[in-house]
Amino acid sequence: MIELDERLRAVRDDCRDAVEDMRARALPIDADPDDMEQHFNSPVYTMIRLSNTPPEYRESVAGGYRLMKAKSVLEDIVGMVELARGDMSTMFACPCPALAGVYVSLLGNPAQQEKFYTRLHGGRTWTFFAMSEPGHGSDATNMQTRLEKDGNGGYLMYGAKRYIGHGARGGIGLVFARTGRSALSIRAAMVEVPSEGWSAQRLNTVGLRGAYLSELQFDGVPVAADMLLGEHLPVTRRGIWGAVKTLNNMRIQISASAVGTAMAITEYVAEHRKNAPGVDLALARAEAGKQLIFQAAAKLDADPERGYFASASKLSAVRMAQQTAQWAITSIGPAGLIEHPLLEKWTRDVRAFEFMDGTSNIQRLHVARGYQSGDADG
Amino acid sequence: MSTVLEQCERIARDEGLAAGLAAALSGTEVTAAAPGSYAAVPASDVPEGAEVRTHSLANREEIVFLACPGERPAADYTLAEIGRLLAAVRIGTVRRLLDEAVAYLSERTVGDEPLIRKQLITGTVGDVAAELEMARAYASNPLSPEALADLHTKLDDLGWQVTQLFGASGYIADHPVRALYVSALVANTWIDRKGAA
Repeated sequence: MIELDERLRAVRDDCRDAVEDMRARALPIDADPDDMEQHFNSPVYTMIRLSNTPPEYRESVAGGYRLMKAKSVLEDIVGMVELARGDMSTMFACPCPALAGVYVSLLGNPAQQEKFYTRLHGGRTWTFFAMSEPGHGSDATNMQTRLEKDGNGGYLMYGAKRYIGHGARGGIGLVFARTGRSALSIRAAMVEVPSEGWSAQRLNTVGLRGAYLSELQFDGVPVAADMLLGEHLPVTRRGIWGAVKTLNNMRIQISASAVGTAMAITEYVAEHRKNAPGVDLALARAEAGKQLIFQAAAKLDADPERGYFASASKLSAVRMAQQTAQWAITSIGPAGLIEHPLLEKWTRDVRAFEFMDGTSNIQRLHVARGYQSGDADG
Repeated sequence: MSTVLEQCERIARDEGLAAGLAAALSGTEVTAAAPGSYAAVPASDVPEGAEVRTHSLANREEIVFLACPGERPAADYTLAEIGRLLAAVRIGTVRRLLDEAVAYLSERTVGDEPLIRKQLITGTVGDVAAELEMARAYASNPLSPEALADLHTKLDDLGWQVTQLFGASGYIADHPVRALYVSALVANTWIDRKGAA
């Protein structure tokens, strides 16, 4: 059992204060994810962006925000669950460092970090973390995108990516590509957009439209040698190693998204259909999910390379959230999804978590392997 | 009735969800029969000037939601029969997408092996196929409101299992898989499951 200390309770309460604001933004973003002007620089987006940015790279803004320090995965996750209770699509739509920031902080040198984080000042620049490819999903070892030497000390990038958040509107981010055949040749390149050879289109998704999933094509995108991350690290720690740690982190974030959305769904049904059977059960399941992801986050803080608990939490939390959505559909009554568009949106959004950062089948394989290695007892 | 059920399934499988819905609702006075304030209908069947709500995914399936004002009827024989026909339509829709999923999984390879040969995938295809047989048998007899609700909840789940077979393509609105999302939305307007939670 993870008991939140005073600092974590403060993080939770600050994010909890943002719930209603995020819910108010949810349907407009779902209807038109390109219409973001009304959301830029809102207090909640400023809070998320600054909290997501290391203190040394934060811009100074008025408002006196009490910011999450993100000293730990657990602190990040405690806040994330509450923001997801607000609306996860609104959270994803926020221009902020996001997943790319996790990796840049892990593997970027000071110059790369400064370039990345200062580009985000002003709150109008999205980031991307481009790993999945058409035909290969998140199977990084089969990645086809390649970096070819340009003869002048740099590289030209060729290939394609698919299902990349903010790919078609991000200003800066990371693209994974290989410089050779071995797994160790896979590297993350920092790319600023617009760029020669870069083209991108938004994908029209069923839900979670704030994530702005996109497909990207690279036809000779120039990448300077000093834009490859991890050059200052041993060869074994430059590419996939960081990606594995980042993905473990991301899997718990997706679990938190699922748990927060399940809570939002349950609260909505309880409010709009008094005495609906199953509310207490749905809440109890979501609370169990919350406790599971807190434990998984604490485990990841202790050992960032061990993914068993991250995968186990994603597999079970996403399934729990989907069951909660199904319960809501049966509970809200005939035509309830038409009468309650926010609930209907959440029943679509929650499906996205299945496909992000490894499907349930992929997590099953990770969990089974981890269990056989004794990770469940460690 | 069994012939009508077969027809509804076949039409949905061959021609799509909206065509199947049109067959299931044939001869029904929608605004009098629907259990909720809106009812899914084929867009082509909406009377001129009628109030409708639209949905971005349902629009692509040419289905809209017709306003049904006033007191709603209690569950009756007509609604129960529509529920069974709609189940047949949804079975046909799952078949349509399952066929497509199997074709996709047979082409896509991981490590030089078609995905359809991976045990977790094969298991899902087997489960869905078996559950479809059970669902068809379930719909073949008159059903109580509780059983009808149970049948449609199972069909929601079958639709989701097939959706997952497409991987992330299963979340793209331009993909034919959207019919499965819309199928669940259609059922939400025609099946009263409040008491079944």
